[in-house]
Amino acid sequence: MQEQNWDGEIGLRKVVIYREEIITEAGARPDRQAVQASVAAVLRNPWVGSDPSRDLAPEVAAVAPVLARIVSERLLALLGGVDAIEAFGKAAIVGTAGEIEHGGALIHTPYFGNLMREFLDGTSIICFADTRAEAGESLVVPLWHKTHAATRSHYQTVSTRVSDGPRPDEIVVVAAASTGPRPHPRIGDRTTDPAITSKKLESLLS
Amino acid sequence: MKIRKIVTIVEEIRSEGGREVYPPARVAIVAAVIENPWAGSGFVEDLNPGIDATASDLGALLAPQVLDALEAPAEAYGKAAIVGLDGEIEHGSGLIHTLKFGDHFRKAANATTLLPAVEKRGPAGVLFDIPLKHITDATIRSHHQTVEVRVADAPHANEIVVALAAAAQGRPQQRLAPLSTEQ
Repeated sequence: MQEQNWDGEIGLRKVVIYREEIITEAGARPDRQAVQASVAAVLRNPWVGSDPSRDLAPEVAAVAPVLARIVSERLLALLGGVDAIEAFGKAAIVGTAGEIEHGGALIHTPYFGNLMREFLDGTSIICFADTRAEAGESLVVPLWHKTHAATRSHYQTVSTRVSDGPRPDEIVVVAAASTGPRPHPRIGDRTTDPAITSKKLESLLS
Repeated sequence: MKIRKIVTIVEEIRSEGGREVYPPARVAIVAAVIENPWAGSGFVEDLNPGIDATASDLGALLAPQVLDALEAPAEAYGKAAIVGLDGEIEHGSGLIHTLKFGDHFRKAANATTLLPAVEKRGPAGVLFDIPLKHITDATIRSHHQTVEVRVADAPHANEIVVALAAAAQGRPQQRLAPLSTEQ
């Protein structure tokens, strides 16, 4: 019954879960099989109709933590728990009657980000995408490693979309995660990179 | 059967028409992206060997997964075959319009009716709607519904997306008179 209260508090209309398991890529099975997932929550924009001078803080404190919990719990259930999750990302799609700032308010403050990081047991900054769009727009959500953001093998994206959301007065908030790297990662890492400068490549660039 | 990936989507509707839906309405879809068994073979007159090699395995793979994702008994169901641009719609129809495919889902869901279907050809990322009807009586109006699906990078030109969909209930806030009241 607690979930019913959540809905009333934050105006949640629907939740869309997307999970993708890669069996083969380019015809071959990856050494490490990863599962990606995204959870998109469609809710009423708490600031619709307000002007840009409006302080967003009260609703951020009331809505963002509840959202963080809803989307994080579902991600954990989809991907097999906190230890299975290696990479994460987040996103907001604001309906056309709102400001991008409204989406940012729900995903870029500690009331969402710190909690999602805590629930998913990460330490990295959570990478993100945001846009303002009509219902049905798809958005590519970037992910990176939850404790070592510069780990190149874990740079990846997952596409998210809600067929009938956001309505103009709604926001779609997305949390996404992966249990491993891209299939067949083989573009090196910072530890193996040569020190490239334009001077060293003079002959190629001239 | 060569599978590239398996996609699971669950929609959970918590309010509709401004009113709460409780318990939340759930619809699940599981889609397998497979290589078209007839890709590169030119016009194949007899599709039966390819159907026999693929359709039953595909049904057996998808049926338990879509019911797991739904986390509830299915009351309505449907299916889809979305063929990549180099294939024929007949290829997708061959895989899903056979009892060898659908019986796995019917048996797992204790269902008796034929599965409503969408068959379509399109590029990767094409949108498709899967129609769903009641699992034991296709005239039950409350359960006529559709769910929209998109897989961002499928089907490739030589692939087919084959999907099953299941709903745990009819439409949220369904309130149409039954068919029998008009007969």
